[in-house]
Amino acid sequence: MRTGGIGVTSPARPLNVNGRPVAIDQVPVDERLLDTVRWRLGLKGTKEGCRTGGCGACTVLVDGRATLSCLTLTHEVEGSGVTTIEGVGQDPVGSRVQAAFAAVGAVQCGYCTPGFVMALTGLLKERGHSDPFDELLDDLGGNLCRCTGYASIVRAVAALREAER
Amino acid sequence: MSPAVRPDAEAKVAGRVDFGADLEQPEMLWGALVLAPVAHGRLRSVDLAAARAKAGVVAITASDLPALVDGRTGDAERPAFPQETVAYRHQPVAAVAAPTIALAREAARAVRVEVDPLPVLSDLEAVFPEWPGSGAGGSAHVAAHVHARRGEVDRAFREAETVVRETYRTASVHQVALEPHACVAEVKDGRWLVRTTTQSPFGVREDAASILGIPEESIVVEGAWVGGGFGGKGASFLEPFALLLARAAGRPVRLALSYREEFQLGRTTLPSVVRMETAVTAGRIAARRVRLLLDVGSSLPGRDFATGYSIGFLLGPYRTPAFEVEGYAVRTNKPPFGPHRAPFAPQCAFVVESHLEHVAREVGLDPLAFKADHLWRAGDSTPFGQKVLPFGLPTALEAARAVAEQWRRDAPPGHGVGVGLGFWSTSTGAGGEARVRLSPTELVILQGEREIGSGSVIVGLVAVAERRTGLPRDRIRVEYADTARAPYDAGVFGSRTVGALGGAVDQALRTLLGTLAERAGRLATPGLELDGEEIVLRSGAVRRRVRDLLTAEEVAAGGVVAAGQHYGKAGTFDESLVVDGTFYPYTDFTGAAHVAEVAVDRETGSVRVVRYAAWHDVGTIVDAPSARAQVEGGVAMGLGTALTEEAIWSEDGRLLNAGLVDYRIPTLGEIPPIDVTFVEGFAGAGPFGAKGLGEPPIIPVPAAIASAVRAASGAHLTELPLAPERVARALKPF
Repeated sequence: MRTGGIGVTSPARPLNVNGRPVAIDQVPVDERLLDTVRWRLGLKGTKEGCRTGGCGACTVLVDGRATLSCLTLTHEVEGSGVTTIEGVGQDPVGSRVQAAFAAVGAVQCGYCTPGFVMALTGLLKERGHSDPFDELLDDLGGNLCRCTGYASIVRAVAALREAER
Repeated sequence: MSPAVRPDAEAKVAGRVDFGADLEQPEMLWGALVLAPVAHGRLRSVDLAAARAKAGVVAITASDLPALVDGRTGDAERPAFPQETVAYRHQPVAAVAAPTIALAREAARAVRVEVDPLPVLSDLEAVFPEWPGSGAGGSAHVAAHVHARRGEVDRAFREAETVVRETYRTASVHQVALEPHACVAEVKDGRWLVRTTTQSPFGVREDAASILGIPEESIVVEGAWVGGGFGGKGASFLEPFALLLARAAGRPVRLALSYREEFQLGRTTLPSVVRMETAVTAGRIAARRVRLLLDVGSSLPGRDFATGYSIGFLLGPYRTPAFEVEGYAVRTNKPPFGPHRAPFAPQCAFVVESHLEHVAREVGLDPLAFKADHLWRAGDSTPFGQKVLPFGLPTALEAARAVAEQWRRDAPPGHGVGVGLGFWSTSTGAGGEARVRLSPTELVILQGEREIGSGSVIVGLVAVAERRTGLPRDRIRVEYADTARAPYDAGVFGSRTVGALGGAVDQALRTLLGTLAERAGRLATPGLELDGEEIVLRSGAVRRRVRDLLTAEEVAAGGVVAAGQHYGKAGTFDESLVVDGTFYPYTDFTGAAHVAEVAVDRETGSVRVVRYAAWHDVGTIVDAPSARAQVEGGVAMGLGTALTEEAIWSEDGRLLNAGLVDYRIPTLGEIPPIDVTFVEGFAGAGPFGAKGLGEPPIIPVPAAIASAVRAASGAHLTELPLAPERVARALKPF
């Protein structure tokens, strides 16, 4: 049960995580979506970085939109569909993004990689592939990478655009 | 899409790789550290009662140490927890473990720490407001002192046509590996086990043994996939705390830092002040004086090598007939100085490059011609009398100059083009051992290092094996083992993996090929190739199946095994030049020339990097895509050091920008196109003449950017980073 206001309780609607229903009645109201997927569901592909919205490593899709799971309370998104890096390969856009990152070698330590894959997948799903290249890159600005200098990530985005053409 | 260029890429894009921060274990507790509330003080008491009163909570502090390690004594100078004195704010003074992370944090807050505050030394220049006089080397504020001299320096300065004196300041920068430090420890049957995110499993074992007073053989360290290191994960850090908590709890314990704690406790490059003096006569350097004050935080006295290593980099790769250098490692109430990709070298390059450019301008010479005139060539001696080994920096500078001239001609108003050089010696002297195992169908490299991201292990070692044997990469696999089973290696740091560990792999392979060639009838120049699924030994026209060259026992054991090692040596130098302290000579000579074009906004002082090109002396490249990726990543990191990154401490020793929102690293939109060129043919000591490339790309960046900012705006900046406020102030004093 979840406290819905003073003296009011209502059952929390389950999440749908990577196609699987997940009850959240037992999840504390102040738990972050990041901790629910990582430690409650064991989906460790979603990375914990700064926990303050500053690095993008924890990005997941909530109803198809790229979302920082560290700044999202689990109960805030009750009833929603959540896609993590473990499930994004089932999505045709997500699987193409993954393939592009792997083929180009836009991966070094790999800690930021799931966040980048989720953010780019979300942007492409939301805006479609007609989004200008520069705007797409601008909108990836919230995802930090310390290894690649972003150069190979930009090449992966470019290769993806090329392949979609 | 083509197949992945790295063997770990497919797992990483699918989130299937377990990093240290992802580790957990059944029945484990969650740890948290109790951090000192002041930066300096006498520890009066650490009261654990309220924490221990909470159900399921284990809490430990200094007084518990002897019981936890069965009465053994560890290194008295660096116990896990301080006994008497708090040396920096957020120094761990106790630790707790609990069934949930929330309860662990609550318990950590319940620990009462009483400290009698002492005066805080936070600012380097407050410790030594005047330059330290002779005898300051013995001061309690000085962790290490180095002083060296050559030739008639005073006379050269007296008789010089021009003398240029400047003071430079550089900021503290943080590694910002995205994965925080994390480990899981367990103590079972007298064995202390820890799985951790580390650049050096053997280094962690050695450090933990020393801190805890436990024999190295009782500690087993297993590396996890590392989410970026950059020097910050080179030595033990959380592991001793986690091991002690696990011992106290009798259960596994996970201990990880929050990202805020990463900044607050992190051991990294700290601020410096450098005085540069150069005497010029007839267009040539007659003599130089370099004096360095380097903040080393709460580093232990006598244990710091940063000054002894850096002082040569402040002279730079330039012919210098007479010099006097002096460096002080100054202790302050900050976390201990720690390595950050090419420790302090980007700062040294910024200082020496900016200074010599200024010197050249003051005497009316073209700065790049002046530098090229003085640059070492192979066969020269360094100012310290060490012979210069094959060195591609002069060639790199020549190429960079030509491009810089072209860019200058094309640059619109408000833009400027600059050149920066960087010199480095990689840590190929640190030792490494490896084993290889060849079965009829597969070659396996057995070693102790986990991949930290650069590809040096998972790609670099495989590329060395491919090149040595001729076998395609998909038949070569790297196998990792913990410190109980793996051959010793110093660690993935100092740009040494391909050069040193790769050297060990190469030696093992040569032994292996020799053994097989002997068995096949003393064949010359043997190599391996594929015949369908089978690996065959080839020598000229002769081909023998490996299967037929192995004994039945070897086939049953998975193949024939050979071992190799690499223990390199630093060169010799003229030790009589060193008056006091320790100078560290070089193991090899590598370098890079970078060209940057920037646009400077004269109103706001903001600097935009428009385009960038880098030439690197790498000896021989073993894997071109990884090499290029190293340069791209290193340049981007260097742009942070150059323009935005600065950890800021208050007077009372508090880190004011402990987070990624206030401490700004470069983002995707701030990185210009980076053109990468390799200067080959100047062989290093690594396999096939390879030189290390992990660190060099960051080194010339702040120098190149400062040079470009000066060209664009006329502002000569002597302080890093070149933040908008500093640039604006230089252009329009207010």
